[in-house]
Amino acid sequence: MPQHKQLNNGSPVGLDVGTSRIVTAHRVDDQFQYQTQLNAFVNLPYSKMTENVLAKENVPHSVHGSGIVVHGNESERFADLLSVETRRPMSRGVLNPEEPQSLTQIQKIIQSLIGPAKSKSQKLYFSVPAASPGNDDSITYHEASLRQILTEFGYDVHSINEGLAVVYAELENSNYTGIGISCGGGLCNVCLAYLSVPVLSFSVNKGGDFIDTSAASATGDLINRIRITKEDSFHFNGYFADKTHQALSIYYEDMIQTLVASMKEALLGSKSLPKLSRPIPLVLSGGSTLPKGFRDRFEKALLASDFPIVLSEVRVASNPLESTAKGALIAALSEI
Amino acid sequence: MALSQRVHDLKPNQFVDWRARQISDPIEKLQYLQCAMTGRVALVKRPVWRRLSLGAFVIMTVSFLLPAPGVVSDVSRVSHRQMFPETAKKIPPQSFSDVWLVEETEQEEVFSNGLRVDNRFSTLNQPRFYQVLDRKRSMTPSADWRSQPVGIVYHTTESAIAPFDAERNDALKRISYLTLKNLIENKSYNFFIDRFGRVLRIVEETSAANHAGNSVWADEDSAYLNLNSSFLGIAFEAQTGTGETVPVINAAQVHAGRVLTEMLRAKYRIRSENCVTHAQVSVNPSNMRIGYHTDWARGFPFAALGLDNNYNLPPASLSDFGFEYDGLFRHAIGPDLWKGIPMAEAQVAHDASGNGRSYYAHRTALQDRYHKLYSALKLTGALEESNDAPAQATE
Repeated sequence: MPQHKQLNNGSPVGLDVGTSRIVTAHRVDDQFQYQTQLNAFVNLPYSKMTENVLAKENVPHSVHGSGIVVHGNESERFADLLSVETRRPMSRGVLNPEEPQSLTQIQKIIQSLIGPAKSKSQKLYFSVPAASPGNDDSITYHEASLRQILTEFGYDVHSINEGLAVVYAELENSNYTGIGISCGGGLCNVCLAYLSVPVLSFSVNKGGDFIDTSAASATGDLINRIRITKEDSFHFNGYFADKTHQALSIYYEDMIQTLVASMKEALLGSKSLPKLSRPIPLVLSGGSTLPKGFRDRFEKALLASDFPIVLSEVRVASNPLESTAKGALIAALSEI
Repeated sequence: MALSQRVHDLKPNQFVDWRARQISDPIEKLQYLQCAMTGRVALVKRPVWRRLSLGAFVIMTVSFLLPAPGVVSDVSRVSHRQMFPETAKKIPPQSFSDVWLVEETEQEEVFSNGLRVDNRFSTLNQPRFYQVLDRKRSMTPSADWRSQPVGIVYHTTESAIAPFDAERNDALKRISYLTLKNLIENKSYNFFIDRFGRVLRIVEETSAANHAGNSVWADEDSAYLNLNSSFLGIAFEAQTGTGETVPVINAAQVHAGRVLTEMLRAKYRIRSENCVTHAQVSVNPSNMRIGYHTDWARGFPFAALGLDNNYNLPPASLSDFGFEYDGLFRHAIGPDLWKGIPMAEAQVAHDASGNGRSYYAHRTALQDRYHKLYSALKLTGALEESNDAPAQATE
């Protein structure tokens, strides 16, 4: 598969650094354009022939001593071929503390997507998760490390809360008032914004990886296989005879219930909520919202919870995988 | 808490919300909101509030610098109030009844003066947002844009009317419903008073209804063009019948009109002189005649609604903008000409004399001024095209 052609035209960049994927957004001729790479890599044994094939096929890779590292989108294919797990630079929304190559590999993936800045003033907004309740320092190292990498690329770097980025991407019609939720691989990020100002944001420590890992543990499958099954064929509102789908259904439900309960608790406990004069929208984004029926299941859980804010609508983002990057880009463009 | 205290002025964030809704570009909208909410200053792209100020500047430039600049200043040399002692007398202190909201549900609002407003059909339209002309400064457009109504225009629906008796109750209800449907579809008025005296909110007060597109009115301080944005529209379910020029409204409608007017005046501090009928404000710019619409051209029960008889006020369309009237309009208003009309004509004659012009030359200059201001306000989006046709319902 040919390597992505970089879109970096010197204009502001939106960057979603997610546990599963890294997505970039640019504006080209008044259109938003996106590029995505899996935030993963896999080690292959070194051979001259393998290196030549990868180079010929434009597969992003690098040589490390006696091994070759394939990173980004192609890593999943190679992992499946070799029946090994991909390695993940990030875990639960932040840099993976158990992965020694995390920073190096993220740097390479980002480099393959956007390359160095075209000028010192080129703005880049990158997404960071919100802290989980009671753990305000959990993202400090993650944010500082990414900022350093991106600054070394020469960008004028700013961070943006992931949930707020979803609000900027999706809630223009309500004057950027409403709740943006990004259900990603590592975390679910929630942000309540009022007229573009983030009022309340937090993260929930359950996301796609939690579902995959828990289901893999219950079934004995490889996590990678569970993920492929989830993305290919899982949906809500159906009966599943096989164990994998049943396990996915149970852990998805767990994630939704935890998310709704955390939102309710955070809203009821907040002392700084604005007085909302009208119902507000709630928008869902991220890869974990993709299964058919997710919105309905989520709305049902909200209704059952006696949610403390009146919502005008609950919807899934128009492009769930790209809305965080788009929101980061909108924030960057608004800074010009 | 008194309603007037509760909602007299827009809360800052509501104002920011309204203004942001004017901006279609998502980036500019975000820039504006971030500036407004955090006090940050935008760097390069100009947010809408600054463009609006520029708009005011453009209007002033157009008004003063384009051909015939003398027209504006010539007219303003003479003070209206000096020339006409009968109208120059100080307007008595405005009294606004202290009306407050007693209870509010999604379906209904109940006020302390007995008013009940049915909210089941209320909808939004273009946000209320407009510029006024400073009457004491040569009709200079004000730099500040406003979002609160300053007046009320009373209308009749001119819809089908059945005899008002108990035996026709079903027909009366059906006609009211058909009329209401039509008004909702066209977002015709802010309020509708049906023949049973029920007050229904159609277009929320925060939005402009399509009730008085081409229209002019002025109070002591300011003049207003196209009153959709600056004035609320109240329609009585009534018809100006053939051969009978006074529309009939019943006691229930009069009572509803009174308590509704009382509430709105208290809520928005609306002056009595700005509570007028559609016939008083309607103009036709294509032939420069007043009275394009003639609902309530006479017989409006000002006193019963707790208002001064505003037929006595000189219409600014005549005195300040050189509009004329024709035989059809004379027929509509009946044998007793509004007292305000001869006063306005005398005003034009006096100003013409003061400026060394003939009556007709001066009136032409006033008309030019209207066209220039109208064009300038349209340029900045202060005037929206609108459809103010009356509703039609058939039995």
